Amino acid sequence: MSKKTKNKSVNVNNLDKNEKSKTTKDSSKFKIVFGVFSKIISYLFVVKALFTIYGIYLVYVSLTNVPDLPKVDVNVRWGVDNNTHDTRIRPYRVIFSDAMESEIRALFEDYRLMERKIKSFKNTAWTYGVHSDAFAQFFSHWIFKYKFRERVKFLNKYDHFLTNIQGLDIHFVHVKPKADKDVKVVPLLLLHGWPGSVREFYEAIPLLTTPRPDYDFVFEVIAPSLPGFVFSEAPTRPGLDTYEMAIIMRNLMRRLGYTQYYIQGGDFGHMIGSHIATIFPSEVLGFHTNFPANTSKLSLLTWLLGGLLWPSYFGNGIEDRMYPLKDKLEFYLEETGYSHLQSTKPDTIGIVLTDSPVALGSYILDRFMIFTNHTNKFEDEGGIDKYYDFDKLLDNIMLYWVSGSITTSLRIYKETFAGSRLNNLAQVPTSVPTWALRLKYELFQHPDYMLRWKYTNLLGSTNLDYGGHFAAFERPKDFSDDVFKAVKAFRNFK
Amino acid sequence: MSRLLLIVLPLLVLASIPLYLLVLKSPPPMPKLDLEEWWGPPELKQKQDTSIKPFEITFSETMVKELKERIKKRRPFAPPLEGVGFKYGFNSKQLDSWLKYWAEEYPFAERQKFLNQYPHFKTNIQGLNIHFMRITPKVPKGVEIVPLLLLHGWPGSVREFYEAIPHLTAVSKDRNFALEIIAPSLPGYGFSDAAVRPGLAAAEVAVIFKNLMARLGYKQYYVQGGDWGALIGSAMATFFPKEIIGFHSNMALTLSPAATFLEFVGALFPSLIVEPELANRLYPLSEKYSTLLEELGYMHIQATKPDTVGIGLTDSPAGLLAYILEKFSTWTNPDLRSKEDGGLSYRWTKDQLIDNLMLYWSTKSIVTSMRLYAESFSSRHLNLKLDEIQVQVPTWVLQAKYELAYQPPCILKLKYPKLVNASVIEDGGHFLAFELPEIFAKDVLKAIGEFRKLKNVKTEL
Repeated sequence: MSKKTKNKSVNVNNLDKNEKSKTTKDSSKFKIVFGVFSKIISYLFVVKALFTIYGIYLVYVSLTNVPDLPKVDVNVRWGVDNNTHDTRIRPYRVIFSDAMESEIRALFEDYRLMERKIKSFKNTAWTYGVHSDAFAQFFSHWIFKYKFRERVKFLNKYDHFLTNIQGLDIHFVHVKPKADKDVKVVPLLLLHGWPGSVREFYEAIPLLTTPRPDYDFVFEVIAPSLPGFVFSEAPTRPGLDTYEMAIIMRNLMRRLGYTQYYIQGGDFGHMIGSHIATIFPSEVLGFHTNFPANTSKLSLLTWLLGGLLWPSYFGNGIEDRMYPLKDKLEFYLEETGYSHLQSTKPDTIGIVLTDSPVALGSYILDRFMIFTNHTNKFEDEGGIDKYYDFDKLLDNIMLYWVSGSITTSLRIYKETFAGSRLNNLAQVPTSVPTWALRLKYELFQHPDYMLRWKYTNLLGSTNLDYGGHFAAFERPKDFSDDVFKAVKAFRNFK
Repeated sequence: MSRLLLIVLPLLVLASIPLYLLVLKSPPPMPKLDLEEWWGPPELKQKQDTSIKPFEITFSETMVKELKERIKKRRPFAPPLEGVGFKYGFNSKQLDSWLKYWAEEYPFAERQKFLNQYPHFKTNIQGLNIHFMRITPKVPKGVEIVPLLLLHGWPGSVREFYEAIPHLTAVSKDRNFALEIIAPSLPGYGFSDAAVRPGLAAAEVAVIFKNLMARLGYKQYYVQGGDWGALIGSAMATFFPKEIIGFHSNMALTLSPAATFLEFVGALFPSLIVEPELANRLYPLSEKYSTLLEELGYMHIQATKPDTVGIGLTDSPAGLLAYILEKFSTWTNPDLRSKEDGGLSYRWTKDQLIDNLMLYWSTKSIVTSMRLYAESFSSRHLNLKLDEIQVQVPTWVLQAKYELAYQPPCILKLKYPKLVNASVIEDGGHFLAFELPEIFAKDVLKAIGEFRKLKNVKTEL
């Protein structure tokens, strides 16, 4: 202000000019300051943008880089006795002893006569879990209609064996095909999951081991129990995750004389089968999965972003099974309580399920019905009358019961999900020929392009408009048809 | 100019988040509560019984015999993995000694007598027979009797308060009041009836207890709670500020968006949010969240499938014991997870812990107790957004060292603007009244002393 007056007093003639130059000076000063300021801002902006791009690049790299395979130790020991190396293959029989039967019947009576049994709310279907009325039906069948002697005979219709792999007795069913000279016999490793067992494959096995027209091969089936499940021994120390199970299963096949074979898997069987195909690609002739999911972080992120941005594009033909995102997230939140509990405190819930047949029965029944079709949650009967006869479901439950293996089976969740090896392996691709079978109500489904990030030679996929998580158990014919179809493609692939 | 906007606009948006969350966002409306909502069998609605009947806990011979036999029938349990302590859950190696004690040494008749040392009652509120203990001290002239509603949680019971009650009800020349204790069992827990239809969540339990206190003739009273008791007590203080004149909580938590926002701010600038000595109770956030993930599996399954997981807990005493005692171990001090015995003898005798188990076992109430999770985590109840409605009642919080979660006063004040004090202690865990009854009682009495001073100031004005 004072400057202006000064100028004014100095040169009256040049007032306008000075005024002009003053204002020009002032405005140009302002312009300079503004210019410098905005330059700084734009540099900051550019710097910020560069940092962001770099950040995105780092994230991209971490999601897509192929980590080194963890060191493979095919001889790591899991048993109590680490000195004996017993390579015998010993015949085994499922036994439902009289003692076992009277014990379980005594426990049945205790619950049946209990005064204050659970009474579920009316008209809530299975939204609070297994409805007490539906369970009462199931329980009643178990007590009065399930014939232990008949069922154990049924379970022994196939040959069972035990053999010691890396210190653990591994149980498996081995079924040779009906002989036919012109038909090539190829080995097929069938891998179950939780809460399933080898029982899941009983109806499919005759279909897999019988030669069929249009096919010049037939399967010889090896269906093991995962370590810690049913008659397969459990480890005594932590660390036996799906990666280690893959090594055990591969060593099992080698023990039986197979250096090359096909693998079929669902649920944890899918993860283990994927690991075998990744760690021992030269030994796996082909991998068929009915749980077609890529378990990498990149896939998870793609699924989430795809759901937000463009579901029909990212869904690539199966968007109705992957989206809407909000519905799917709510569904997973609602249905993963069991997994959350088992991945953190398996031994606590294991104690409950070991000690009580109704606990084991209802806990497993819950998962079978919801995984088969999640809309069963809104049916009063939970769908128990629709998909499987009670004997089938009880056979599976009884295998867990007589072996006392429920607790050790639950630990697979903690071992697998508590570590980071699952994701690391997911980012290592495998060129083993792969085929995906998608049943309508399977819990996780990824489109072909996403599967190809991991299974570079995904030869094809089958989408069915029905069926759920337990493909072999629920749809043995569709299951077997698709396995034949897949292995034909594998054999033709060079 | 546009370049400037590119910078300023996102900054404005960023700045507006706290502005919106902390200042501008209007709280959700007070939920419409049906004070006469009926939870019992509809036939009983015609002939409502308002009497208060004395009640005695009985461990019948039949029940005890069946329990012992069932324990004897227990199955062999899978041994724990080497070196895991309680990290995979209850260590099965401990089961034999616990079950042997329960079946062969736990003195049922003696413990029944112990549990009946306080007067028990039942009265029917909104169709449900609600069980409670009422302990009234004898006071000399000049000492005012002041009612305190004590609320337990899961997997606890009124048993948690037995050791604290003598301290709470003591008459002392240091104060001009003495506490009368009303300690109910939550609906669906212990000897209180469970609802016959869905919908009985924490908010609805708050209504039931408000009606209970009204039935017992109290116009104004204090409330103390931990676990569900804290959530229910908080709901009561939110809905009924005229009746509740002071609220004490030993598990103070608020989960509103504003609270979460402040927690994240504190992750970057801890000194803005929490005192440095207490920062490790909340930060680093990643540790807090991974601990919660590790420990909340039970909550996840109970909130979604209570009837599935509950059936075994009514059938197997071993199962019930493992499921509940795991919490008494881990929630007392997370370090106890590395101990083979879970450190269960650290704070309690076997009798104390089995007393609590008996209240679940003898009543077969474990399933109905777990349904509180399913009801309260339903979208209906969550949409009430109770955490975003402020409590206009003087509040006092007691924060034990190993409580499952911690929030500093500045965050708590979002929900409890009338927070009088936050007592921080360097000991104790989740079951504070049960663990440290004297310290607990002392703090509650101190709080009520302060509440009374505030009340007197108010009435003087």
